Amino acid sequence: MELELILNTIARALAFSTPLLWAALGEIYTERSGVVNLGVEGMMIMGAVVGFMVGQATGLPYLALLVAALVGTLMGLAHAFISITLNANQFVSGLSLTIFGLGLSGLLGRSYVGQPLNVAMKSVTVPFLSEIPLLGPALFTDQKLLTYAGLIMAIILWFFLNYTRWGMTLRSVGESPKAADTAGIPVNQVRYLAVAFGGLMAGVAGAYLSLAYRPSWGEGMTNGMGWIALALTIFALWDPLRAIGASFLFGAFFYLSFTKLQTVIAPELLTMMPYIMTIVALTVIALGQGKRAFGAPEALGIPYQRGER
Amino acid sequence: MKKLIVLAALVLALAWAQDKPIVGFIYVGPVGDAGWTYAHDLGRQKLEKELGVKTIYIESVPEADAEAFIDQLVDEGASIIFTTSFGYGDGTLAAAERHPDVLFGHATGYMRAPNVMTYIAEMYQSYYINGLIAGALTESNKLGYVAAFPIPEVKRHIDAFAMGAKEVNPDATVEVRWLFNWFDPAGAKEATEALIAEGADVFAFTEDTPTVIQTAGEKGYPSFSHYASMYDFSPDTVASGQLTDWGTIYIDFVKGAMEGKYTNTNLQDLDYIWRYAEGASIAGAKPGMPINPVYEDALKAKMVNDSVLGEISVYDLVMKRIEQMTAGEFEPFTGPIVDRKGNEVYADGVVAPLGDLMGLEWAADNVVGDWDNEP
Amino acid sequence: MTFLGYKLEPRTKPPGQVVFLYSFAAVLVALIITGFIFMAYGLNPFSAYATIIQKTLLNWRGFSQVLLKSVPILLAGVGLVLAFRAQFWNIGAEGQILAGAAAAAGVALFLPLPAPLTLPAMFLAGFIAGGLWGFLPAILKVRLGVNEIITTLMMNYIMLYIVRWLINGPWKGKLVRGFSESDKFPAQAVLPTFVGTRLNWPTLGIAILFVFFIFFLLSRMKLGFEIRMMGESPEAAHYAGVSFLTTTVLLVLLSAGAAGLAGVGEIAGIHKKLLEPTSISQGFGYTAIIVALLARGNPLATLATALLLGWVFASGDVMKVALRLPDQMTGVINGLLLLCIICIEPLLRYRLVRTKALPNSKFKETV
Repeated sequence: MELELILNTIARALAFSTPLLWAALGEIYTERSGVVNLGVEGMMIMGAVVGFMVGQATGLPYLALLVAALVGTLMGLAHAFISITLNANQFVSGLSLTIFGLGLSGLLGRSYVGQPLNVAMKSVTVPFLSEIPLLGPALFTDQKLLTYAGLIMAIILWFFLNYTRWGMTLRSVGESPKAADTAGIPVNQVRYLAVAFGGLMAGVAGAYLSLAYRPSWGEGMTNGMGWIALALTIFALWDPLRAIGASFLFGAFFYLSFTKLQTVIAPELLTMMPYIMTIVALTVIALGQGKRAFGAPEALGIPYQRGER
Repeated sequence: MKKLIVLAALVLALAWAQDKPIVGFIYVGPVGDAGWTYAHDLGRQKLEKELGVKTIYIESVPEADAEAFIDQLVDEGASIIFTTSFGYGDGTLAAAERHPDVLFGHATGYMRAPNVMTYIAEMYQSYYINGLIAGALTESNKLGYVAAFPIPEVKRHIDAFAMGAKEVNPDATVEVRWLFNWFDPAGAKEATEALIAEGADVFAFTEDTPTVIQTAGEKGYPSFSHYASMYDFSPDTVASGQLTDWGTIYIDFVKGAMEGKYTNTNLQDLDYIWRYAEGASIAGAKPGMPINPVYEDALKAKMVNDSVLGEISVYDLVMKRIEQMTAGEFEPFTGPIVDRKGNEVYADGVVAPLGDLMGLEWAADNVVGDWDNEP
Repeated sequence: MTFLGYKLEPRTKPPGQVVFLYSFAAVLVALIITGFIFMAYGLNPFSAYATIIQKTLLNWRGFSQVLLKSVPILLAGVGLVLAFRAQFWNIGAEGQILAGAAAAAGVALFLPLPAPLTLPAMFLAGFIAGGLWGFLPAILKVRLGVNEIITTLMMNYIMLYIVRWLINGPWKGKLVRGFSESDKFPAQAVLPTFVGTRLNWPTLGIAILFVFFIFFLLSRMKLGFEIRMMGESPEAAHYAGVSFLTTTVLLVLLSAGAAGLAGVGEIAGIHKKLLEPTSISQGFGYTAIIVALLARGNPLATLATALLLGWVFASGDVMKVALRLPDQMTGVINGLLLLCIICIEPLLRYRLVRTKALPNSKFKETV
């Protein structure tokens, strides 16, 4: 019985944390380039509403996903324009985009309320792998394609960031833009790309919610997930591989708070668990590794202006 | 002085009778929540259509701001105002004192004034019907209930559901999971998944989205519409549900006000607790479908023994109970009732007074799960 | 680059009146854009604005609503200015507001004090509780280097659930018929309001005093100097012997304590009971971040930014009712307004200077 609980937790943590993972991966790249995007929540919800609208109109959920990604990208570009080209306060820019996105999505989605999505993304069960004892049912049964894609994406992004020239370029822009500039790297162009990519990923994350996780549109349906993704970015120490672990851990504790544990621990205390465990986990990491563990990109949140300083 | 007030009221009443009043609504969420506020808005639309009155509604009003919004609605000419959430109680009463000419209705509250009545479209009878169906459909004898907050309203619904299930299936238990949220789609989804993993195979809930229905439906498990029809979200698995029709109350009250029956001096004791008999809350997957045809055969095949009705199929029992409750001849909360701690709540033959039910705290003896404030 | 004998020259610190003037212009631009939105909804923009101004600024009850919305974000916002000056990115004002509210409710409900002492005790308890809620993130940051953005954000959620636990469990009222809230506070625990409004003056007064206190602290006191040094050049602060632990803890106690005070004002002035946390604070802790950021580190400027945002919220309410605009429009317009305000930033960073060079000069400046 306890084994079953563990296996179920693994399966559900994967499904629940998929949007968190996608959004966090995007934000990791954004922040690695030195820009903070507090607009993740707004970009996610725009992705969710546009994804639903296109999905409902065409019956093609993967086309809808594409359009949602595009909308996320556009919002990312808006954030890039404001925070890089205009060199305006990137924190306020992100917050405004969140407020704007929550409002606009509600406006766009007004007539879609109370409708189920006609064609939702299907669950898949991976042949052969799902027959592995224990792990088969936990990892490879009845998951959405985007869940696997998220995991693969994390690995690709990790490899790309650490082992390719492009990845090095991105990191150098976030760590030391001046040195990167001297070396001939177009700092602001790289940042533009990274921020737009972050928007794209947030759009996908939102579309997962309205096309797969809960195939319908409801106002405010992201319900703070964008903020959790931002927190997970830090929790993952800006590393795509660790983002898998961070979002999985959060998802596991989220799921556990609704299991039969509720009969053992008061549910109102249990629902705090994911948040408490995040702090505990960070503290444990810090105790183990010391301050060095938390190497945020050196130039995070600092705009780069050629000729300054 | 008193005569003057009565006279003023009369004049006002006459004025209402002549030109139609503007009716204001204060909503706690967006009409797009597909749950609580959506159901109220359907009621508002019905009122507008039936009586031809003009309505104004304001969405997403924070509970503490009710008073300020009421002021604004009065500025806009509203002479009847409905505040549709429990949390608006203090604001409604304070504003009612400042606007003695305006009639107020406060949903799900208990504080009244000469110009403030309270009202609720009460769903427990529908939950009881749903319980009968759920008890017959379950194979694992485990029913899942995803619940918002441990307050009397929700507890009463869980108990009614559990008692219905027990009536047709003595082995059926109701497993409760608390969200501590009215709106938490992700929580509702994971709670349902957890219940499925633990063996539950029929689902009822109190939460503002159709998430539970969609999640159970994906796996083919029956579930029940909440507040309004959620049939479209899973047509093959929504077995029945609780459909509220706030419009019945809105129309009755506004009509009464227009005819001069309700004035700003006689609402102190007016408390609409409307149930099956008044059509304010009926069981159904969607309007006109008390039982989803998909489950008709299964329910007809399941036979139970009723002390009064004798050997009867669950399908017929459901139809009989609906008939009885519509006529006001049957009450699910009738003794003997013993709670899960073994205390006798009602002796044999005692019908629970409505006032008791509105403050219900005990848990039915086949409810499993955490239960705050259990007596 | 030069143009017609003028060139743009970077400047580090724009003078206050320039910031004010440009910000005003930005708000104007946003209002013009919003005017077009009004037109799209079939409204005459001029009469729409007349309605809004009439109902928010020209009528005392309406203006009291503006102030009502401004007070909590002013208190929490000025606290955040202090934290942000030290580069302590406190996202946790929301939780600190709730902590203050909960502590004040505890005093009001369970501490038998002589009547005149109740309210001061509530404010004190709220200040301390808010401060303590910021204490753990402060310690974790200074001692272990744990990022405060994530810990303060998580602490918000934890406090939200603690308040929910209180009102459903130990502090649930005996007279509330089972609903999730505490009993009403006794009369001595309720703040007096301006007649005919819901605006309580004690919290308004405390908020303004606190703004000037923070201004004084940052500009005149040793602690303020250390805070600024820690934020602007941590290395220098280190060599100057500033104790990061003591300074951070003190500044966070003040910053989070201010948010706690805001919570007391909400609970003792408006709600008069402990209730559902999302009703106690409608995201004031997050709005306060915008208040602080728009104030650009200047505590006195929060008076203007909090009032601006308070007005925006009150106007949104008017739009919902008097203009019948959909609720979501408020979010769209608020977002646009904020974007306009920050987009003037490049203008602030440069000024037009007359150059000696001729307009057709071949000399190229790099800007």
